[in-house]
Amino acid sequence: MSVAELKERHAAAIEAVNDLRERLKQRRQQLLDADGHKLHSFSLLYYLAGYARSLGRSQVTFGPTDLVCCRTLQGHTGKVYSLDWTPERDRIVSASQDGRLIVWNAQTSQKTHAIKLPCAWVMTCAFSPTGQSVACGGLDGMCSIFNLNSATDRDGNLPVSVTLNGHKGYVSCCQYVPDEDIHIITSSGDQTCVLWDITTGLRTTVFGGEFQSGHTADVLSVSINGTNSRVFVSGSCDGTARLWDTRVASRAMRTFQGHEGDVNTLKFFPDGNRFGTGSDDGTCRLFDIRNGHQLQVYYQQHGDKEVPLVTSIAFSISGRLLFAGYSNGDCYVWDTLLARVVLNLGSVKNSHENRISCLGLSADGSSLCTGSWDTNLKIWAFGGHRKVI
Amino acid sequence: MAARSGGSSFVQPLHPPSPKSPPKYPDLYGKRRERAKVQMLEREISFLEEELKSVEGFQPASRYCKEVTDFVMANSDPLIQLKNQKSCGFWKWLCGLPCFNMACTSCCCNSGCCCYLKCPECWKCSLCDCSLCNCMSCKCCTSSDCIACKCSSCDCSSCNCGSCFSCCKVPKWQCCCRKMCCCNFQPPSCTNCCSCKWKCYCPKCPKLCNCFSCTKTCCNPCC
Repeated sequence: MSVAELKERHAAAIEAVNDLRERLKQRRQQLLDADGHKLHSFSLLYYLAGYARSLGRSQVTFGPTDLVCCRTLQGHTGKVYSLDWTPERDRIVSASQDGRLIVWNAQTSQKTHAIKLPCAWVMTCAFSPTGQSVACGGLDGMCSIFNLNSATDRDGNLPVSVTLNGHKGYVSCCQYVPDEDIHIITSSGDQTCVLWDITTGLRTTVFGGEFQSGHTADVLSVSINGTNSRVFVSGSCDGTARLWDTRVASRAMRTFQGHEGDVNTLKFFPDGNRFGTGSDDGTCRLFDIRNGHQLQVYYQQHGDKEVPLVTSIAFSISGRLLFAGYSNGDCYVWDTLLARVVLNLGSVKNSHENRISCLGLSADGSSLCTGSWDTNLKIWAFGGHRKVI
Repeated sequence: MAARSGGSSFVQPLHPPSPKSPPKYPDLYGKRRERAKVQMLEREISFLEEELKSVEGFQPASRYCKEVTDFVMANSDPLIQLKNQKSCGFWKWLCGLPCFNMACTSCCCNSGCCCYLKCPECWKCSLCDCSLCNCMSCKCCTSSDCIACKCSSCDCSSCNCGSCFSCCKVPKWQCCCRKMCCCNFQPPSCTNCCSCKWKCYCPKCPKLCNCFSCTKTCCNPCC
C-alpha cells in the first residue's frame, strides 16, 4: 500500500472514530433521559443532583467555624506541589519546589524528616502503606524511594534506597499499591503508566505507549482503587481518563470522555465503583467505572472571569463531600449528591494565600490537608456541630 | 557556455547551477509510521464498536445514582455531624475558641493538650478514652497555635479541682495543666483538721491546714 493510500485510510479512520464517539455519547444521553429524572435541559450536567433532589435529599450546610484550620505546617521554602498521608499514623509527606521532601507529624506539627532530593524538580510524592518509605518523582524521569529508617550519609542526607528508572518523560504522579510496600504505579509525560516492583527496581507492566492502546498525551495523575487494587484510573492531557486492570496491559478497560481540557487529578470514590476527576476546563466530574456513565458535573459559574483550573480533588470518607482545589486559591467543598458548593476553604479565616496545588484526606477521614504555592500546608478539621436540614 | 570571441555575436547567458535532485528513495520510516497510526486507529474503532454494543445492555442511569446516594447516606462522616449532636469542643479550643460545654469536663480532649489532634469519639465526651492522651510530646509545641500546650506531663484524668471555677481565671480545661493553680483558693478553717474533707490535688498545694490548732502537715489522710 502506498503512503498516499495509507493517508487516505488514516483520514477515514479518524472520521470513523469521531462518528463512533458521537454515537456513544448520544446513546449514553438516551440512557439518562429514559429515566425521566432530568431536572434541567442540560441533564448531563445535573443528573445525579437531579436524582438526589427528586428524592428530597437535603444539602449539607456549614457554619463559619465548622471546618477550620487546625494546623499550619511551615517549613518549605518553595511551592508545595504534592502531599500524601500515611495510612497508619498521622504523618504527612510533602514535596516542594525547594527540592525537599518533608515528613510531618500532623498532631504535633513536628518535622520528623527533611529529605534533600538529588533532583530538585520534584512533582509528586507518596507514603508507603506501612509508613516505612516515601517515594517521589519529577522532571528527572525517575521515581526515587527513601527508607525513613535508613541512616543518613556524611552530609546528613537520607540516601536513595531504590531508583526506578525507565520512563522517557517526567514522572507526574506516583501511588503505592495499597497494602503492599513493594509495588508502586507511576504516571508520566511519556504517555504511559508503569507498575514497578520496588524490590527489583524493574518495570512489571507498562500501560499505554507507542505500541499499545493508551493515552495520546502526557499522563498527569493516577488513582488506585481502594477496594480492588488491581484496578486504577489515569488522567491525561488528552482530556480523557482511562481505567486499567494491572493484569491487562494491552489496552485500557474503558476510556472516559467528557472533559474539554487536561485531566489534572482524579480520585476513586470511596465505594470503588466510581471516581472523580478535575480538569483544566474548570469542572470536576463523577464517572461510573462499570458502564462509563458521567453521573455528575461539578462546575461553578464565574461570569466573565477566567475559569480557574482544578488542580486537586479528594472525597470525604462517606463520599458526601468533594474537596476541590483551584488555581485561583479557592478550595470548594462540594455536596456531591446535590452538586452545590457548601463551603470555600479559600475564603475562610487562615486560608492559603495562593493556589492550592494538592490536598488529601487522612485515613480515618477526620482531617483534610491542603498544600499550596504559598509554601505552607494546612490541616482542616470539623470544629463545631452542624445540622442537616 | 563560453562567449564567442570577436565580432558582434549573441552571448548566451550563463544558466545558474542546477544540481541534480537526489534519487527518489522510498520513505520507509514515514510509511511504517503512517501504517502504525492507521493500525492504532483501527484498533480504537473496534474498541468503540465493542463499547457501543455493551451500552445496549446497561441499566438506566438512575440505578447507579441510587447506588451512590445509598452508599453516601449509609456511611457516617467525621467531617459532617448529624443534627443535635455536639462536638466536645476540642476543635473549638484548638482554634482559639473556649469550650464551655459542661459535658466535656471528663473528656481528655478537654486537657488543653494540642497533641491529641484526633478525638473521634468525642461526639459524646463521656466516651472519650483519656488514657490514650500521650501528652508527653507536648514539649514540641512551639507554634502560636498551641497557646496552652506547655504542659510537661498532662495527667488529664486526675484533675479533680472541684473548686477551679471559683479560683481559676481561665476555663477548667486549662487548669488541668497546672498552669493555674487552684491553690490560690484559701482553704476553709476547720476545727478538726482530721475530719477536714477539703482536698486539693494540685501539686503546688502545700497541703497545709490552716487550722490554728492543727499540727498535721496534711489534711489528707492519704498523704
